[in-house]
Amino acid sequence: MSTFTIPTLETERLILRAPCAGDMEHEYRFYASKASHFVGGPISAEQTWRTIASVIGHWMLRGFGLWALEEKATGTYQGRTGLWHPEGWPEREIGWTLMEHGQGKGYATEAALKAREYAYTKLGWKTAISLIDPANEGSINVAKRLSATPDGTFKHERFGHMHVWRHPGPEAA
Amino acid sequence: MTTIPHLKTERLTLRAPAPSDFGLYRDFYADAEGSGNYGGPLRSDQAYQKLCADLGHWHLQGFGKWIMERREDNQAIGGCGIVHPIGWPSHELTWWLMPEHRGHGYAAEASRAVIRFACQTLRWPNVETHMRDENAAARRLAEGLGGKVVRRETFPDGVTRDVFVLPEPEPESAP
Repeated sequence: MSTFTIPTLETERLILRAPCAGDMEHEYRFYASKASHFVGGPISAEQTWRTIASVIGHWMLRGFGLWALEEKATGTYQGRTGLWHPEGWPEREIGWTLMEHGQGKGYATEAALKAREYAYTKLGWKTAISLIDPANEGSINVAKRLSATPDGTFKHERFGHMHVWRHPGPEAA
Repeated sequence: MTTIPHLKTERLTLRAPAPSDFGLYRDFYADAEGSGNYGGPLRSDQAYQKLCADLGHWHLQGFGKWIMERREDNQAIGGCGIVHPIGWPSHELTWWLMPEHRGHGYAAEASRAVIRFACQTLRWPNVETHMRDENAAARRLAEGLGGKVVRRETFPDGVTRDVFVLPEPEPESAP
């Protein structure tokens, strides 16, 4: 028997927890819309389901991954943020994807700060990047709020040309 | 928390997919001929995503695919399990083997253990499977497991397939 556990974290306004089947309705709507075009969408519900399944599987393979963000005040799913390093990625990343209703509230920044702290203090990471589409202004603003700085470019087979943003290290963060 | 049980048969252990199985997935999906019935060929990053998704399936559905490991030398040779991708009308018993390990009855042996697990642990009345008409090997295997065609169905990918119902196999002496 093999067991896998995804830790739960908490910030001022959010619970960071394991993704679950109940999040899927939000993800279907997000990935069916143009709002998903910076993260490989729009894609079908079936492809969305497989994408979220692989987000969960990433935890089981790497021991870290993306948390589901639940708004404490309402219990509503807001999106995903966390630590990401699938095959084909240049190095370990701090990533965030917010549903449309989760955007503009500072949730990506709030959750990414917590995820970065977890990476540095619990996992012993010495550095981290975020890969961002150069046209994704919202995401670039999050990177800036996290004090990340531009550090070159990366071309992914599927996601195309992306800018690398380097986070401050454990001492500076 | 996600729990994946391990199953044993005469010659095989069915265990949870692990990080060390990436090489197996990569090699299997790199081979266009061997993986043609499984959505291949795939690039290595896609094969990794497949491995991730196969694990995540357990978390979302409570069942999924195991790795088939040969007991005599602990070599991982393929996979077997039950999947139900969302949007598809039914679950499916599925199996895959590296081409060099086909023809030894491993898929049938693993399938019997998986069907037994579904009937006894998940308490399903039976297990279904389906395949493209041209996949003669899969059809032979389903028939060998006592499977009977119960309907013909057009799936969301536009392909019409025979759907087999597979009965619970006779008990096997404990390995």
